[in-house]
Amino acid sequence: MAAGWLALAALAAPQLGAQAASPAPAPAPTKTAETLVEYHDDLGRLVRMRAEPQRIVSLAPSLTETVFALDLGARLSGVTDYCDYPPEARTRTRVGGPINPNLEQIVSLHPDIVLAIRSLNRADTVEALDRLGIPVYTTDPRTVEDVVASTRRLGEVLGAKSNGEALAAAMEKRLAELAHRLAGRAPKRVFFVVWLDPIITTGQQTFLADALRHAGAESVITADQDWPQIDIEEVLRQKPDYLVFAGAHQDDPQGTINSLRKRPGWRSLDSVRNEHFAVVSDALDRPAPRMLDAIEDLAHQLHPEAFAHAPVSQSGTSPHRSRL
Amino acid sequence: MRTLTARRIVIVCATLAGLLLLVVVLSLKFGTRSISLYDLAALLFHAATGRSDQISSDFRLIILDIRWPRILLAMIVGASLSVAGASFQALLRNPLADPYVLGVSSGAALGSILSLIWAEQLPGATPFGAFIGAIAATAAVYFLGQRGGELDSYTLLLGGIVTASFLSALIMFLMTTISGRELRGMAFWLMGDLSTPTPLSPAWLFLVLILAVGAIYTTSADLNLLLGGEQEAMHLGVHVVRVKLVVFLGASLLTGLAVSVSGAIGYVGLMVPHLIRLLFGSDYRLLIPATALGGAIAVVVADTLARTLVSPTQLPVGAMTALVGAPVFIYLLRRSKT
Repeated sequence: MAAGWLALAALAAPQLGAQAASPAPAPAPTKTAETLVEYHDDLGRLVRMRAEPQRIVSLAPSLTETVFALDLGARLSGVTDYCDYPPEARTRTRVGGPINPNLEQIVSLHPDIVLAIRSLNRADTVEALDRLGIPVYTTDPRTVEDVVASTRRLGEVLGAKSNGEALAAAMEKRLAELAHRLAGRAPKRVFFVVWLDPIITTGQQTFLADALRHAGAESVITADQDWPQIDIEEVLRQKPDYLVFAGAHQDDPQGTINSLRKRPGWRSLDSVRNEHFAVVSDALDRPAPRMLDAIEDLAHQLHPEAFAHAPVSQSGTSPHRSRL
Repeated sequence: MRTLTARRIVIVCATLAGLLLLVVVLSLKFGTRSISLYDLAALLFHAATGRSDQISSDFRLIILDIRWPRILLAMIVGASLSVAGASFQALLRNPLADPYVLGVSSGAALGSILSLIWAEQLPGATPFGAFIGAIAATAAVYFLGQRGGELDSYTLLLGGIVTASFLSALIMFLMTTISGRELRGMAFWLMGDLSTPTPLSPAWLFLVLILAVGAIYTTSADLNLLLGGEQEAMHLGVHVVRVKLVVFLGASLLTGLAVSVSGAIGYVGLMVPHLIRLLFGSDYRLLIPATALGGAIAVVVADTLARTLVSPTQLPVGAMTALVGAPVFIYLLRRSKT
């Protein structure tokens, strides 16, 4: 906390000085000497902000990851309580949860731009920051392709156009290679375990469902809700080929898997009997560049035969990963 | 009990208003970023004299644009819920009545959610939906609480609990079946939350508060008589049906107003009127204004704790009021049995 305040003071000091020097104080965060730029965000709102923002606040773990992947981590001054990747993100000032961020804390950080994502943050929060004169750029990626586009666009908005371009191009290349390898193979029918007690899985409209499709999998559940709660009978009826677990949702995936072998219902499932479990990192559910690692990892586990031959190119390393 | 004079009403209310002022100043001072009392005084002085250019933009944003509107809302919500509580207690002749316990808050919450689903674009749809929901829930509870043509205390409470859980189930059903993205914040809102500023203008909310409390206040002398029994009041010349209708509509309006702004903050309408009665007696001519001020104090204190205890993370203010309120409810329930 003390370190946070020191960082805060350091950030605040030059700006207060600049304001005292200017003859007529400008309204809230607008700084007279700097170039302002305008962008339309994914919601179509016109966002007016300073070019090459130096102080960025992220309201979602995926956005925090993206900012770091764009090599702009040094400019990130505020993150949410849930921003845990890369580990360096934990050293930034926390502004509360994505759903109820602390407005006072955000204002204290003097952000040039606040990044929000529609699937996690609330419209009320965006409006509230807007009324306080703080520019908010909201992204709304719903598919894997959207994430690539959104990464490219964020690079441009945050003043790191070439980084965004390179990162997006690398992602596209890896996706193309993956699609090439999986071409002609029937997708594996999977049940994605978001939560076990109660059983919650993904619907078909979520970003996660699209990430699964890219990994050569399809969710057996076709519900209208984004995160439907499912009866075990439905899982048994659908007979999924694989059960997929993501790291963060289950603190201990192996323990969960062991417990499934003894549970009535689950233990009679073919995928449980045949040990058809796939465990991937929680990045699979985060619309950020790191999702590709998880998608590739899942594809390897579900379709090992597709990767038997020598790789088309070195897919294990990518520009963004080496930077992190 | 001392006789109630106009002088006593003024003294009690002035004392409570002074206490409210103190609480508001302290609430302005404490937060994620603390401000010294001297700086706060300078800031308020500059703001009051219209020289806001003298204030550092940082403090202006935090104190005047974030903290003050939130405190204002806390005061409006607190006063509304407390007066609504006191009104329901008179209307149902039951000291345990409270908009939350009776399920009226759940009715207002359901009304708000339905209005969000059906008429999100219409301005004022949410408070109107909340108002209609509150009226419907009150009517249902009133009906359920009858036993042999009389309002029965325990039947009434049971009716309230049943109504509240039925409405909560409906809310749960709507929240799981409709995957509207904007329903996501609802879980916080249902607990009672003041962390997100409402787009509704505080001036309008204040106007509605004053009108509804004013309307209820005009019946306060009749309410005193009504507490002795409806038959007796009628013999003393009280227009019982009219009084009950005014109080019923006024209390529903206040509950709807509070819920549409802050969700279901529980137990304020129970604790505050009870405390005021203990301190100043149960004459409604004093009880109503004193309860309004006391409710404002209580919710400002609760919300200040909610936003500072685990800062920068914030607790829902409803969790704070329930933490104190539920035990008070049990205490009152046990005492009323003996």
